[in-house]
Amino acid sequence: MDNTKKLTITINDKEYKVDPGQTIMQAADKCGYHIPRLCYHPKLSIEGACRVCIVEVEGMRNFIASCCYPVADGMKIRTNTRELRQARRDIVELLVDNHPEDCHTCERDGNCELQRLVYSMGIRHRHFTGERKHYEKDLSGASVIRDPDKCILCGRCVRMCSEIQGVHCLTQAHRGFNTVVMPAYNMPFAESVCSGCGQCINVCPTASFVEKNYTQELFEKLNDKSLIKVAQFAPSVRAAIGEAFGLAPGRNMEGQLIAAMRRLGFDYVFDTQFAADLTIMEEGSEFLERLQGNGPLPLITSCSSAWMKYVEQFYPDMLDHISTAKSPMSMASAMIKTYWAEKMKIDPKKILSVATMCCTAKKYEATRPELDVHGMRATDLVVTTREMAWMIKSAGIDFVNIKEEKPDSPLGLSSGAGAIFGVTGGVMEAAVRTAYELYTGETLIDIELADIRGFKGVKEAKVVIDGKELRLAVAHGLGNAHKVMEMVRKDRNRFHFVEVMGCPGGCIGGGGQPYATANSIPLDEEALRLRAQALYDLDRGKTIRRSHDNPDIQRLYREYLGRPLSEKSHELLHTHYKAKLPRGIVSPELKIV
Amino acid sequence: MPTPLELIKKKRAEAVSRIIGKGYLSTKRVYVGMATCEIAAGSKDVMEVFQKAVSRGLTDVYLSQKGCAGRCNLEPTVEVIEAGKSPVKYGKVDKDRAQQIIERHLKNGEIIKEWVID
Amino acid sequence: MTATPYRIIVCDGTSCINKGSRKLTAILREQLDKHGLADRTTIGLSGCLGMCDKGPIMVVNPGYTIYGRLTEADIPEIVEEHLVNNRPVARLVIQEDHLYNRFFRVFGDAKFFGKQMRVTLRNCGIIDPENIDDYLSLRGYEALAKAITEMTPDQVVAEIEKSGLRGRGGAGFPTGRKWRLTANEKATPKYVICNADEGDPGAFMDRSAIEGDPHTIVEGMAIGGYAIGAERGVVYIRAEYPLAIKRIEKAIADARAHGLLGKNILGSNFSFDIEIRLGAGAFVCGEETALIHSIEGARGMPRPRPPYPAAVGLFGKPTLINNVETWANVPVVILDGANWFRTVGTETSKGTKVFALAGKVVNTGLIEVPMGTTLREIIYDVGGGIPFGKRFKAVQTGGPSGGCLPEQYLDTPIDYESLTKAGSIMGSGGMIVIDEDSCMVDVARFFLEFTQDESCGKCTPCREGTKRMLEILVRITEGKGKPGDIENLERLGNMIKKSALCGLGQSAPNPVLSTIKNFREEYEEHIRDKKCRAKACKCLVSYEIGDKCIGCGACKRVCPVGAISGSPKTKHTIDQDKCVRCGLCFNTCKFEAIAKV
Repeated sequence: MDNTKKLTITINDKEYKVDPGQTIMQAADKCGYHIPRLCYHPKLSIEGACRVCIVEVEGMRNFIASCCYPVADGMKIRTNTRELRQARRDIVELLVDNHPEDCHTCERDGNCELQRLVYSMGIRHRHFTGERKHYEKDLSGASVIRDPDKCILCGRCVRMCSEIQGVHCLTQAHRGFNTVVMPAYNMPFAESVCSGCGQCINVCPTASFVEKNYTQELFEKLNDKSLIKVAQFAPSVRAAIGEAFGLAPGRNMEGQLIAAMRRLGFDYVFDTQFAADLTIMEEGSEFLERLQGNGPLPLITSCSSAWMKYVEQFYPDMLDHISTAKSPMSMASAMIKTYWAEKMKIDPKKILSVATMCCTAKKYEATRPELDVHGMRATDLVVTTREMAWMIKSAGIDFVNIKEEKPDSPLGLSSGAGAIFGVTGGVMEAAVRTAYELYTGETLIDIELADIRGFKGVKEAKVVIDGKELRLAVAHGLGNAHKVMEMVRKDRNRFHFVEVMGCPGGCIGGGGQPYATANSIPLDEEALRLRAQALYDLDRGKTIRRSHDNPDIQRLYREYLGRPLSEKSHELLHTHYKAKLPRGIVSPELKIV
Repeated sequence: MPTPLELIKKKRAEAVSRIIGKGYLSTKRVYVGMATCEIAAGSKDVMEVFQKAVSRGLTDVYLSQKGCAGRCNLEPTVEVIEAGKSPVKYGKVDKDRAQQIIERHLKNGEIIKEWVID
Repeated sequence: MTATPYRIIVCDGTSCINKGSRKLTAILREQLDKHGLADRTTIGLSGCLGMCDKGPIMVVNPGYTIYGRLTEADIPEIVEEHLVNNRPVARLVIQEDHLYNRFFRVFGDAKFFGKQMRVTLRNCGIIDPENIDDYLSLRGYEALAKAITEMTPDQVVAEIEKSGLRGRGGAGFPTGRKWRLTANEKATPKYVICNADEGDPGAFMDRSAIEGDPHTIVEGMAIGGYAIGAERGVVYIRAEYPLAIKRIEKAIADARAHGLLGKNILGSNFSFDIEIRLGAGAFVCGEETALIHSIEGARGMPRPRPPYPAAVGLFGKPTLINNVETWANVPVVILDGANWFRTVGTETSKGTKVFALAGKVVNTGLIEVPMGTTLREIIYDVGGGIPFGKRFKAVQTGGPSGGCLPEQYLDTPIDYESLTKAGSIMGSGGMIVIDEDSCMVDVARFFLEFTQDESCGKCTPCREGTKRMLEILVRITEGKGKPGDIENLERLGNMIKKSALCGLGQSAPNPVLSTIKNFREEYEEHIRDKKCRAKACKCLVSYEIGDKCIGCGACKRVCPVGAISGSPKTKHTIDQDKCVRCGLCFNTCKFEAIAKV
C-alpha cells in the first residue's frame, strides 16, 4: 500500500484531501478547523483525558477524541453539531464546577486557558454545581507552589515532568473525584525530587502550579531607603519579556528592561551576561586543567540550577564530573557583594542583590548555603521574567515605549559569548571560543558552532584543539540530560565536555518565562526559536564575542581575582555539590563516594 | 518420536492409573467443596473431619477436594458417590453433619435425606 | 493392550428408568461377570443426565463415550467390543453434546442444573483443581496437543474465528478477530494475557473458574500463545483472590513439571510459559489498557485506543488479552471443533455464558447456561424464583456497567445483542435479582457510587460527571430532589456514555439511565411526592405506631433522639419532627405495632 497517498475525508460535509498517518485533530487543523482542546500538547504524549476535543465520526456509536484517533479514508467527521456542542460545553462546565471561583484574585486571571475555554464554550450559567475538592496548597518548595484546588487533571504537568524532564516528581494519586496530582508519598515539594525547573508552570492551563512569588516583598524592599538595591538579569529575560507586553517573541528588550528596573527603584542594574563571561573564564580554565590530567573528564557544566538538583539526586556518582564553577547568577552576586562593594566602599550587608531570571529553580539556588559569600547570602531575591513583567506593569511603567538604557559598570559589559548562554549549546560554544584561544594562543576563526545549535535533544560535536580531537555533547531538558548521563556512565571516555541545560531550549524556555498567550502553545518551538535568534543576533551584533576579550572581565582579574582558578576565585566563584538521595528510593548501582 | 498428541494420551493413561492407584475405584468417593466461597462457609472444618476419619481407619473411601459447583447458598457441599448408586450431594454441611455423614452414610449406607440437595 | 479399568455410568433418571435402564444395568452386570471384567469395572448410577429424549443413556469411562437409545440387545455388543476389544461401538454413540450435562453424571440436582450447560465450567466442582492428574484424565491438555500436532497456528486462529466465540469480559468483541489481528502483527516478542481482574460487585465467575479448574486457563493460554506466536503469558489476577492465585500457581508449576509449559512443549518446537501478576484491587484495571499499565508497573489508567493492544500492548508489543471465561472456552473449541461449538447458542452469540446469580432469588449461585436462555428461565428455573413470596421487580445484569430490566423483559434471550437492545449489557456475568423491597433509585445510586469511587480519575466525563450524577441521586433518595433532576441525569448520563475515555466511564451511567427508562415513575414519586414505594430510602420513610401498641415502652427506651412519648400501657406516639428514621423502634417492637409508611 502506498503510504503517501492522500486520504479523502469530509469535515462538516466538506471534502478534503489529507495526508495519512495523522490524527483527526491534526488533519482538521490543516483544513482550518481548530477543534477545542485542553489536555493535548504537541510535545507531550497523547493523554486523551479531557475529552474536550471530541468529534462525531459517522458510523461510530460514541464521540471520538480527535487528539488520538487516526484519520482514515472516507471518514466523515463533524466538529460542531448541536449534540457535540452541548457535550463539550457540559464537559468544560464539569471542569469549572470543580474549580475555585476566584478568577479575580488568581495569578493567571486574564491569561488562563480554562477561562478562555469556558468563554468560548458559551457557558453562561451552571447546571451541575456540587461539591468541590479541597486540598492544602503546598508552599514548601523554594521555587514552585502547588495548588491542587485549581488542578483540572489534564495531566500535562505529569507528562512534562516525566516525559520531557525525566524527573518523575509528579503523578496522579487516588481515584475518581479524589484524584490529585502530587509528588510520591504526597511529600512536600521541598522534600520531593522536584528540580524546581518550573516546566509544570509553563504547561499548566490554570494556576495549579505557579512560582513562589516575591513581588510584594521586592516592592517593600525597593522602598527601603537603608538598602542599596542592585539588580541583575539573565540573558534570556531580555529575549522573552516583551511577550508579556504583547510583543511578538524574539524582541531583545535589554535596554527597556534596564530603564524599567531603574524606574522601579533599583540603584544599580548589572547584567548577568557579564557573569556568564566570568563563568566561561573559570569553567574554561577548569576544563583545560582537567584536559591536562587534573581532574576527571568529561567536565559537565553546572550553571543550570534545576540540573544541579537533578544530578545531586539521580547522579550522585557523577558529582566529581560537575564543574565547580558557580552559575553566572551566583558569580554575579558574589562579585557584587565583594569586589564591587569593596570598590564602592559599601557595606555588603546593606546590599539587596536581586536577580531577574527566566528560571524558577534559581529561587532555590539562591537559598543554597554552599553559595554563601563570607557568611552572607549572595543573591537575596530571585524573581522570574513573569514576576518582573508584572511588577513593571503594576508600577505603571510604559515598558514598550520607554527609552533604552545601558547597564551599570563594571559588572554590566558583556561579550557575545555571554549572551548566547541563554540558548542550548551556548555555554559550550562560549567555552570553546575561550578555551581554544587560552590553550592554543591562536584566534578561533569560525566561532559559531552549528553542530550544537538548534533544538535537537542531544547534540554531539567534535572540535580539534591543537591537534587533539575533543568530543562534545549538549543536552537540553532534563530528560535529554538523563540520556547523555547514561552514555557517560557507560563510557566515561566518550565525551570531554558536556553541557546540560535543564529546560527545553535552554534558559530561553525556562520555567519563569512569560505564559503562552491566547493563540499560542506553551513552549511553542517557533517561539523558542525566535527567542534564541534574539540572543544569537545580540552575539553577532557585538564586536566583542569572546569572554576573555571583555575588558571588564580583564579588569576584574587584574584588580581583584588575579587569574582564573586563583585562590580568590576558588573562594568566591567555585563550590561543591553533595549527594541528595531521593527519599525512599536508593538505586543499588549508586556508589556514593 | 511420538507426536504431542500421542504423548498427551500416554500422559492421560498414566494419570488415570495414578488416580486409580489412589483408590478412585474404592466403593465410596467423597468430594468436599474447597473454593473460597466454600471455605468461607466452613468447608475446611468439614474437610478436617473427613481427613481425620480416613487417618483413623475409615477405609474404602477416596477423599478429594473440588472447586465451586455453583451452589452458593447451600455451601459447604459434600458429595458422596458410590458404585452402583445415585450420587448424593449434601448441602450446608458443618462439622457435626460431616461426622454424621461418616457414621450414617459412609459406614452404614444411610442417605440422610433432609440434607440432600435434590 | 493392558486391561483398562472402566467406570460405567448408567442414567438413573425417571425417564431412563421408564425406558428400561435398570434392566440394562442388570444385563450389564451379567455380561461383565461373563467376560471376567467385574473386578476392574465399576458401575455408577447417575441422576437425570438431561438427555431424556435419547435414553436410556450409558456412559463409558475413561473416554466419555456416551451410548444412547440402548436396547437390551446392545449391551453384550458394547461389553465385547468396547470393554474387551477397546473399540467403541460407533453406531450407538451419541455424538452431539458430549460435554453437555457432564455435570449430571456426578451430580443429579436436576432442578438447579437442568437448564444449565457446563462448557467453561465443565470440570469445576468435578475435579480436584490441585491435582493435574484429574485434569489430564478428563482429556486435559489434549486440545493443546491437538493444536500443536495437527494444526498450524493459522488453523487454530481460523478455528476460533469460525467458532463465533466472543469476548466474555463484557463487550463481546469477536475473539477470533482479536487473535487474527495479533497473529498478523510482525513485532516480537508477543504476549498473551489472561484478565482475571474480576471486579464487579457480587461477581465471582472468574474466581470460581480458576479455583475449580485452573488448568483449563493454562491450556487455553498456551493454545493462544501457539496461535499468535507468543512465548510468554501473564495471568493478571487480583490479590484478593489468594486461593485462586495459589491454584493457578500450582497449575502452572505442575504443567511445567509435565512438560506442558516451558521449553519445547510435548517435544515440539513450541515454547511457552506463564507468569502471574497481582492486581491491587482497582476495578479499572479490568480495562485492558489499564491492566497492561498495571503489569508494566505504571498507574492503572486506561489510554485511548487505537492503537489496540493487539498492535501495541504489553511493553509496547502485540498482546492478546482475553478474559478468564474466554480462555476457558478455547480448549473446548479446539478439542470439539468450531462446528460443535456453533451448535450451542444463538445466531450472533455462540456457546454458553457463566453468571453469578445473586440477590433476591432462591438459588443464588454460579451458573452456566447456553446463550439464548431467557432471563425467566435463569431466574425461575435455575434460580428457583423469588423467595418469601415477594414480587419480582427487576434483574440487573452486567454489574455496575449494566442496566436494570423490568418484568416485560423477562423473556429476553441472553445474548449480547438482545441484552443491549433491552437496555442492559451482557457484561462479565453478574446477575442480581431485585424484588419489590428494593428502590430502583437506590439501586442506581449503589452502582453509581461504586463506579464513581472506582473511576481512575483520568477523563473529565467519568471523574466529574459521575460525581454530579451521584450527587443528584443522593439528593433524590434523601427527598431533596428537584424538578429537572431527571433531565439533568439523562443529559449527563448520555454525555458520559458517548464521551468517556474507556469502557468503565462509557457504561457507568447505564444503571441510572436504564432505571430512569424503566422505572421513571419511581424517580418522579421520590422527587414530587417525596415517597419511596419500596420504603428503602431512609429519609423518605416515616414510622408510625398503630393500635397494636400495648405501651411496653421498649421503643421509647431505644429511641436515640427521644422522639417517642407515651405513658406506660397506653399507645405511644412518634414526634415526626424529632424522628431521625433510624428504624430502631421498628426493629425493637415485638408486637408489630410500628409501621413504615
